[in-house]
Amino acid sequence: MESESLDSPPASPIANNGENNLQPFFVLHKALPRKGSRKASETGKTRSKLASLSSPKAAEKSEETKQVGEDDYDEVPLEAFDFVWSKIDRTIKDVLLNINISVFDVIHQWVCESFSTIKSAGTPGGLHSYPPLTDITCKQIFTGLVMTKNVEFVDDLLTFKELAMHLKSHDSHVVTLSSMDFTAKSGIGGCLKSLQRQLIKFTPDTADISILVSWYSEPENKGYPIVVIIDDMERCNGCVLSEFILILREWVIKIPVILIMGVATTIDAPKKLLTSNALQYLSPCKFTLGSPSERMDAIMEALLVKLCTGFDIGHKVAVFLRNYFLRHDGTVTSFIRALKIACSKHFLMEPLSFLCEGFLSEDSHSFWMEMCESLPVEMHKCAFDLPSCKLIDDVSCLSTETLVSGLSAVKSLQKDWSSVVLCLFEAGKFHRIKLFDIFCEALDPNRQSGAVEDRVKASSSGIFLHSEECFGQRKTGFISQAVRRIKDLPPAQLSQLLQIWRKHTEGITEINVKVEELLSMLDFDGESKSNKQDGIGSPRKVTSPGESKSPKKVRTGSPKKAASRSHLNTEKDKEAVNLKAVKLLECMVKDYLKPIESLPFHEIFCFKHVDILQSALIGDPRKMIQVDLLKSHTYLHCSCCNKSGESLLPSMNDTSIIYQLAQEHGDLINLHDWFQSFKAIILPPSNTKKGKRKLQMYPLSKKRKVAVEIESISEASIQARFCKAVTELQITGLLRMPSKRRPDFVQRIAFGF
Amino acid sequence: MSLKREGFTGPTNNHKRTGWQETYSLVWPKTPIDTPSEEMVKEESPRVTKRATRSSLNTPQSPLLEEMRKEETPQSSKRATRSSALKSCSSRTRETQKKIDFRSPSLLRDLVYREEPISFDALCSSFPGRRVQILELLQLLGPMNSPLLPLFIYGGASTGKTSVILQIFRHLKRPFIYSSCRTCYCPRILFETVVNQLPHRRSSGSVKRCEKPADFVNLLHDGMSEFINNLKGNSSKLDSEELKEQGSTGTMIYFIFDNMELVRRWPKYLEITSMLFKLYEILKMPEVGFIFISNSSLDTYHVNTGFAEPMPVLFPDYREEDLRKIFLRNQPNQKLYSSFLDVVFNSFYRMTKRVDELSVAFAPLFQKYCELFSDKKGSVPTEDKKRSLFKRFGEHTAPALNDIFKVPSHPNSFKIEAIKEKVKRRDAEVTDDIEFHMPISAKYLLISAFIASRNPATLDAALFDSTGGGDNRKHKRKMSETSKEKKELAEQELIMKGPGTFPLERLLAIFQCISSVAEFSLENEQQVEDEIVSGGDTGIMSDVLLQLSTLCNANYISKGGSCPLEGSTRYRSTISEEMTVKVARSVNFPLSKYLYRR
Repeated sequence: MESESLDSPPASPIANNGENNLQPFFVLHKALPRKGSRKASETGKTRSKLASLSSPKAAEKSEETKQVGEDDYDEVPLEAFDFVWSKIDRTIKDVLLNINISVFDVIHQWVCESFSTIKSAGTPGGLHSYPPLTDITCKQIFTGLVMTKNVEFVDDLLTFKELAMHLKSHDSHVVTLSSMDFTAKSGIGGCLKSLQRQLIKFTPDTADISILVSWYSEPENKGYPIVVIIDDMERCNGCVLSEFILILREWVIKIPVILIMGVATTIDAPKKLLTSNALQYLSPCKFTLGSPSERMDAIMEALLVKLCTGFDIGHKVAVFLRNYFLRHDGTVTSFIRALKIACSKHFLMEPLSFLCEGFLSEDSHSFWMEMCESLPVEMHKCAFDLPSCKLIDDVSCLSTETLVSGLSAVKSLQKDWSSVVLCLFEAGKFHRIKLFDIFCEALDPNRQSGAVEDRVKASSSGIFLHSEECFGQRKTGFISQAVRRIKDLPPAQLSQLLQIWRKHTEGITEINVKVEELLSMLDFDGESKSNKQDGIGSPRKVTSPGESKSPKKVRTGSPKKAASRSHLNTEKDKEAVNLKAVKLLECMVKDYLKPIESLPFHEIFCFKHVDILQSALIGDPRKMIQVDLLKSHTYLHCSCCNKSGESLLPSMNDTSIIYQLAQEHGDLINLHDWFQSFKAIILPPSNTKKGKRKLQMYPLSKKRKVAVEIESISEASIQARFCKAVTELQITGLLRMPSKRRPDFVQRIAFGF
Repeated sequence: MSLKREGFTGPTNNHKRTGWQETYSLVWPKTPIDTPSEEMVKEESPRVTKRATRSSLNTPQSPLLEEMRKEETPQSSKRATRSSALKSCSSRTRETQKKIDFRSPSLLRDLVYREEPISFDALCSSFPGRRVQILELLQLLGPMNSPLLPLFIYGGASTGKTSVILQIFRHLKRPFIYSSCRTCYCPRILFETVVNQLPHRRSSGSVKRCEKPADFVNLLHDGMSEFINNLKGNSSKLDSEELKEQGSTGTMIYFIFDNMELVRRWPKYLEITSMLFKLYEILKMPEVGFIFISNSSLDTYHVNTGFAEPMPVLFPDYREEDLRKIFLRNQPNQKLYSSFLDVVFNSFYRMTKRVDELSVAFAPLFQKYCELFSDKKGSVPTEDKKRSLFKRFGEHTAPALNDIFKVPSHPNSFKIEAIKEKVKRRDAEVTDDIEFHMPISAKYLLISAFIASRNPATLDAALFDSTGGGDNRKHKRKMSETSKEKKELAEQELIMKGPGTFPLERLLAIFQCISSVAEFSLENEQQVEDEIVSGGDTGIMSDVLLQLSTLCNANYISKGGSCPLEGSTRYRSTISEEMTVKVARSVNFPLSKYLYRR
């Protein structure tokens, strides 16, 4: 589901005059024709558009004919969105590929090793059909079990696709099978057929292994391993997969098949799924992909902290996304989807959001200057109507300069903010504090206003905490935790940390200087220690002065040994450095970690509307169905029902009537009663009364027959309508049909909302 | 014509194995290859073979055979037209005919085992403990060109059935056609594999579509008779060298059907098994031998009688000393390995007698053994030493006994993980982590499924409803002895049944209960001062059905029933208790409180 939404054309925002309730279908229909044109133009067009807008000509034009000008600006958010999103998309792809590339390399190496083992086991004879007589260990299939570490496998579809590409580029025949090929229905023939289809590229009506054998014996195919990738092993039918393995292993010398299977849960999943017979023919090897939270951290780091696109998310949105990830659907895919929705909504709702491009340009000040000067008056006013601008006291200077300087301030603060967050993250890494947690806390606009305790509580309130942190560590926020833990860091790790800090704080000169100072202190310690050791004459340390030119090595190596000596002096020094590092970080947090939401004009870059995102992501279909059924007239807008108010009318929708009637019952509804009351509503009251009276008055007259006839006709149609409506309720999941035990009753499934 | 018939029937009348070959080779070359005679032979053949097979003499014709015959009649008329056409052009294509003639003997050689033939001694020594079976099989196969009644070789898995028979054919240098019912996973592929391996098919390379058993029989009959006729026709024209060649391979062709037990899984398997077992009688060709290999005895095939039962040959399980010999066979360091076997063998022999399972289990253990005791190379351990070795190595053996499936990591991936591990080791308090990521709502769903499967449904009210709990306590006091016994019985039954099934509603109700409790406790502790409340959090409820399907896919919950609309689908939790406890711990859920303990 998630993958679909990623692949599908972006639900591009259409500026529909201020009304923010995006109608999904409308958007989808509108978006289609635009997509092609946009693809052709790409980002260059955005640039030109913006340039033309900012040029004086365009400005004049917009002043002269506002209509035209505003139309121009209608187009801009779309293009800005495309521009920003394409950048984000590229970054995400790079990050995900980089995470996996090392594992891919290991897998490739293993494939090569396995293939050479297979080759050494024996040379395939001719095309004869009897099995070669070899040792059993040679008949095992090399199987790589790739642990994906996530019950949801959506994220890994892409990973396995990339793995296939990677192996293909390294000279192997790659076949990607999925659980759809291993169903009980299609049986063993199904998977063999798709195996054959992908390798030989022609589909015989039956899949015969011997065809594969003859294909592989052709010179251009020979000499490469055949890698069969099954991306979701757990969903396969165990019997079919076992049979597949048993067949393959009979031929493994002639067709060197190497299996790679994705395992979502635990390593004993194959043990549960496969028969023992098949299991013993596997020669397994385990590989581990990065866990989803690691991936998430990498994406967060690259996307929201390092890459300043001019699109940010507010605190509430961040917390919501984090909760969604942890609680509902722990996939990176859905996170990206949510981010995309947020991004599109942001550009749609925020008229000035196209200014984000200034974030990416070198000389953002002059860029914004140009842009802002050419803004139409409405837009200009719009900027100063932003709630964050009410913080500015001086009402008089609502000039372009204020706007531009405000924007520039946001940009520079954002840069400082991200470098501090990165420093915090590095510090927290030693204690497995997730970047997402720090990120959320750092975004919290209330963090700085309150006292320390309050701050801590505020930051953790409403955040659904991680399993580990749930009880033990709740009392403190993640940031203060990360800061405090620096105290206990051993010198080796501290120096590593400082090295990374030095890189991250390059933008902030004061801090950078202080980090350098700390580093030199540590260096000095290290060197003095190594000197001491030299004096003692430890033979191990003789090499260290030579190494000391590369400071990293000494720092990582020597302090550990020195620590074991526990000199009083060095202990103190060490603690002093640690304390200084803590102080430095505290100072950084205090001075530079200003949440974006506390700045004026942040709305231009920052998406804060949780409710919109939530309704787009979660939605509540069953509730909506119930509400719509109970208030059908608000949708139908027919004249007859409007007047009636609460009472039920025969002109109403059958399903709606029936559902409203069902409200009167408990969890069991007697079908007969229900039908009777439905009938009573459908048939006009006067008519039925007359009929009844007639029946009572002249029980034996001829008229009765006529009446019965009329009734019987309508009876059939009423029954049909009743059945249809009840079936509709069943399909929407509000009802359950009568069971064998209680044939006269249907069961209500949904109560309330 | 009558002469020919006499010649043909001759050998069957004086049915002696030694005499057969001579008469056979004497008579057959005389028959010229012209089509009418071929037709005649075919027409006669039913009667002839009826006499030829001893056992079928008195048995009534089976309905299947009748069917075969029926289907054969139109077929033969077709063949007649084809052959008459062939006859008309045979004079023109005499040259090509010759070529084919020359090809056939070498094609026959194609069916012989590729590798160098082995001697009888080598054959016996490569299969320790199988000497009796090898001798029996050799006797049954008889000398060259002697007809063979169908053989049925059976015995447990991994007792050397396939290997022995293949090596025997390697020893005998006789042509055979092998097909495994495993690789040929459906009747059509089995038939086509066999037919395509026939000599004449190989030369022409045509793949014929063959789905029905009847088609298979026809094709086989055609192919074989054509081939045999060619062979007979040629042998007169052959020069001495080729004669010798032919003499070395003989004129018999053997069909080996391996893994016959798998046929029983096919739809309509009865038809196919009985057809295969009857092939010998249907074809009525003494030059064709059938060998069936199966891991279950003939009784399990439910074949109706009416044909000669194949000769059973049993391959019993290996005895202990045989297994030892097998494992010692290809070891470079015999002494070290035998000392290793002394330590390990007995405990494993109690578990399994299968060579494949044992060898898979031994391979990593022996590696470890070499690492530990390689210094003792060559030295034969004394009885005392053996005991101490046994003790010392016991720590490796014991876990291996239970380990069916061991997954090592790739050495290089260690390097990558080493960095991560470093961090992990630091805080050792989180040792029993779940190995994979699961959203919290999925965890709760898993726990509730486990509870629903473990507890009887009647207990739900007591666990999750305060009033229900009160009732239950009253009830307990009144319990009499008999009702106690009854309850115990019911509990025992519950254990025997394993995890119970539950409908979706019950699962959702429990889920709602435990997740709301968890939410409440969390909120309490977390305080409510700040109203942010996790950015419009909707609780854990949304997307539960999606999570459920995820868990079903991960094989933690199994789903029965079919129609989702009916709503009567029942679920069952298949997760192990340890796993659930882990999950519960990770969300701090007091699982033990909610579990019904006896």
